[in-house]
Formats: sequence, structure tokens, C-alpha cells
Amino acid sequence: MFATKRLSKELIKMQEHIPPGITIVKCDNLEEWQMDIKILDQNPLYLDQTYRLKFTFSNKYPIEPPEVQFIQCPASTGTPRTIPMHPHIYSNGIICLDLLGSAGWSPVQTVESVCMSLQSMLTANTRNERPAGDQEFISTNRRRIRDINFVYEDDNV
Amino acid sequence: MNLQDFLAMEEGRDRDELIDLRSLDLVSEYDSHLMCPICHCPFVEPVRLQCDHVFCGSCLSSAITTFRSADSEEFPCPSCRNPTQEVSASVPRLLINMCDEIRVRCPLITEGCQEIIPRGHVQSHVEKYCGYRLLPCPDGSCDQMTRSKDVGMDQKCIHRVRRCPHCEEDVLEHEYEEHERELCPVLEVTCVDCETVVTKGALREHIESCPEVAIPCTASKYACPVKIRRADIAEHEQSCPIVAMGPYFETQNTRLKSLESSMRHLQQRNEIFEDGLANIRATLVESTRLGANSNSGGQPTQSGREQQSSARADVDTDDPADIAASVFSSNATTYLLSLHESLREEVSQLSHAITDLDVRASMAIMNECLRIKEDIAHTNAAVNSVRMQVQWLMNPRLHQGARGGAVRTNTTDNESSAAGPSHAAGQTLGPLRPRRPSDGGREGTKL
Repeated sequence: MFATKRLSKELIKMQEHIPPGITIVKCDNLEEWQMDIKILDQNPLYLDQTYRLKFTFSNKYPIEPPEVQFIQCPASTGTPRTIPMHPHIYSNGIICLDLLGSAGWSPVQTVESVCMSLQSMLTANTRNERPAGDQEFISTNRRRIRDINFVYEDDNV
Repeated sequence: MNLQDFLAMEEGRDRDELIDLRSLDLVSEYDSHLMCPICHCPFVEPVRLQCDHVFCGSCLSSAITTFRSADSEEFPCPSCRNPTQEVSASVPRLLINMCDEIRVRCPLITEGCQEIIPRGHVQSHVEKYCGYRLLPCPDGSCDQMTRSKDVGMDQKCIHRVRRCPHCEEDVLEHEYEEHERELCPVLEVTCVDCETVVTKGALREHIESCPEVAIPCTASKYACPVKIRRADIAEHEQSCPIVAMGPYFETQNTRLKSLESSMRHLQQRNEIFEDGLANIRATLVESTRLGANSNSGGQPTQSGREQQSSARADVDTDDPADIAASVFSSNATTYLLSLHESLREEVSQLSHAITDLDVRASMAIMNECLRIKEDIAHTNAAVNSVRMQVQWLMNPRLHQGARGGAVRTNTTDNESSAAGPSHAAGQTLGPLRPRRPSDGGREGTKL
């Protein structure tokens, strides 16, 4: 109830005004949304690329953080999307970012602010690499995102 | 007050009786500074932190129960992450007044209340003044609800059925007065034209035959402008020249109509003939060309020469080759053309029949669709009303559920081990690491 009310308000606000580089792709229910983000500056790693984010909301949103991850779309859908290269983004799209975990999350955040944070996280990146242990993680991880215990060790990003 | 006191206060607050101010339908725009950043609604019972950030009391308490690490005395402000120990309930009066002044619709709009009131008055409006709030029926034995505006001074149950002694009809108690005063068919009314007193039920019938009612002359469709009392109409019709000419007009009209229809018929036939003629011409030209090619440079045949003169009358051409060819093929063409003509007629008949069927089928489908649409609208309305009721019923329960759930989450958080996905294995994460106070610009991207 609380979550749906809050999400519908966010949606109305975003439909009126949305920051550059962010587009709503799918928001037909109040449990899962998809957003497209673009990196606006000239970072050669992400030039002319669009990435798709999937938000999954629990009914305790915004007190609990939403699950956010990048998703892939095959070229056959007409909008091919890949997972961006970043030392904190695993190749299955799972993002290691403290403000998406229950410790760093704040109920003041919105879908819009999360998208903007991810935009700036990609903008600031210069390393074309995956996190250490990427292959091992994606082949062994069966947990849901909210159950993974990340350690946020890198304060430079 | 400190965090513990604040949480205890919020916990003890009984919200079940109150209206959910967050679900109200806001009519006007409001300043975005009056919006609680947690629930995105105008502040409800706002509280202030040491850093001067303001939140709804209930939003803040649910945030605290979720984010505070095990009973510590500190809590990071959701907006700026400054550690806070004190929560102050004293918020500038100005802020509260501005929030209370936002105009909203009465939540009883589902019952029919159309009023728009300042948000601060909603509670008292719904509790005391709204005519649409539902009260239990004043009669204890009746289990139905009554709108407060329908509860009269005498505190009677309005759901009882009362039988009208005059017309023997069953009427609900609260509609009885109106029935007795205005609707009962036994009531007597005066005909406005002849001033006869008749009963309400018989009024319609009376108007049909009242001698004083002005009715138009029977010849009004032939432009007789007279409109007089029924009693005098017979007299007028005796002298009215247009009524006398009426039968004549009638016959003229029918004649015109039949003429028009036969004319239309003839036009159609004419069109068919013209088409046929054009076809014959086209065929002739074609066969001529073919004939000319086959006898190229040769002499006209014997039979061609014999019929040359008659052919010349039919075909307006002096070219001997043309004439010969047309004669050569004339027998066969005549036969083919007649065949063609009859086929054409059949086809046109068929196409008429098909159009007719098409129209009928689409009418049938449209009728069916309309009925189904109406049904769907009814079902939708019913579902909507059920949904509203369920929501209203669920609201207090959800609130209780959220309170219980939040406490549970807090305890499980501390038990979960800190096994990292890859680079974190083996490391133990202490109780949630406090964040450094953020300096604005870095807020988004820390890892």
C-alpha cells in the first residue's frame, strides 16, 4: 500500500520531468520497472551505448531498498542492451554499490536518484574490467540480490 | 526527546480511528518543500531532526526501526546522513499550517460527498459535518447503515418499508414523505388547461382526451398553421381548406413516390445498357484490329462483300478491312455479348444481395457489442466498489502488519553472516558500518 502509493507518485513526477539520459521503458506494474540509461559525457568505454536497468520493488519500498541490476537484451528485440564494463558490475548485471544495499540505502532515494547515481558511477570509471572473481561469482551465485553480502572496500569510485 | 522515547510515542499512537491523510485526493498543487521525502506526501505530523530535516513522524519511525543498528543511540538522517540522537516534535507552526491548508477532496466521495476542504479539517469534517458518513441505523434492531444526512430529528429507522394507505404501494420510510407529498398516484392534481381535478395516475390519460388542450390541425403536415383547443378542432376542420384538399395531396404524394421509384429503376437499366454498349464497341474495335491483322493486305472475303452494305449501316467506318472483320465475327460476338450481358446482370444481383447481407451482419454484431460493453461497464463498477471497500478494510491491518514486520527485520539483520560473494569470503563484517557524513557531491557513487 505504502509502496504502491509512493511509486505512483514517483511515476507521475517522472512523466512530467525526467533528467537527461534516463528513459522509462516499462512501468506497467508497481513491482518491476525497467529503465534505460545513457552516459552523457564522452567516456570512451560507454560512448553511444544505452544500458537497461531492472528495478524490483518489495512492498516495504522505500524503507527497504529496491533490487537493482543491469539486464541484457538480445539484438532480436530491436533494442540490444549489454552489461556495462565496470570493476563493480558483475557480468550477470549484479551491481556492487553501497547505496543499493540495506546499509547504504536511504528512504529519501528515488528511482530517479538511483539512475543518476549509476550514471555518475559509470561516468567516473576508467577501468575496462570486471570485478575480481567474476566468473566464479556468476557461476556459483544462486542467491537473490538482497541476500548477497557485499563488502564495500573501494572508496574511490 | 531521544530516539527511544520517539519510537515509543509513535508506537503508542493509535491511528486506527484516524483518516489516512496520505491517501487523500489532493486538489491543488503544493510546494515541493512541503513533501516528506520518504512518503512523497505533504507532511503528516511532522518531526524535526538535529540537522533541521523534517519528516512525517510515522515515516521517520519506520526508517529508524529499519536502519538503526542494534539499539544504538544514534541514527543517520535519511537526507544528509548526519548522526542524530534527538527527535524534536516542535516544528515551525508555519510549516504545519501550510500543510493543513492544502485542499483535498472529502474521502467519502465514494458515498457521494463532493466537498473540497483544507486538509486540516478533514478529520472533523468526516467525523462531524459530512452528510455522507455512514452511521449505524438509529433503530438498534436494524443492521443497515444510514448516511448521517438521512437520519432525521426523530431518529427513526429509514429502512423499514411502509405501505401507502392510498395506493397500496410499499415505500421505504425515508422516501415516504416525498411519496405522500408528490409521487403517490392517488394524489389529486389539477389539469392546467381545463382545471378539472384528476388523480396523478390518470393525468396522462386525461391529457390525451382533455377538450381544453391545444392540439394542431390534422392538416398540419400540409402546412396548416392552426393550433387550437381539442373541443374546437372539429369545427376548424370543417372549414379548413387544407383539410379539404388533404385526400388530393395524399394521392399526389403517392403518385410522386411511385414515379420516383420507377424513374430510379429506369436510370439503373439505362446505366446497364450504356455499359453494355460501351463493351460492344470495345469488342468490335478489338476484333476489327485482329481481323485487319489476319487479312493484312488481302481481299475481303466473299460473304463479307455480300453483307458489306448492311454492315456499313451498323459500323460507322469506311475502311473496308474493318467492315469485313466485323461481319466475319458478328455472329459469334452477338452470342458472346448476350451471354456476357446476362452474366453481368446476375453478378450485379449477387453483389446487391451480398451488400444487404453485409449490412445485416454488421448491425447484428454492433448490437451484440453494445450489450457486452454495457455488461463490462457494470462489472467494472462493481469490481471497483469492492476494491475500494477492501482497501478501506485492509488499511488499519496493513499498518499493524508493517509495525510488527519492521521489528522482526531488525533482529534478523544482525544475525546474518557476512560471507562476501567473491572478494569478501571469510571476512567478518561488524555490525553495520556507520557511514561517514556525506558531503553532498559524493553521495551517489561511494562504494
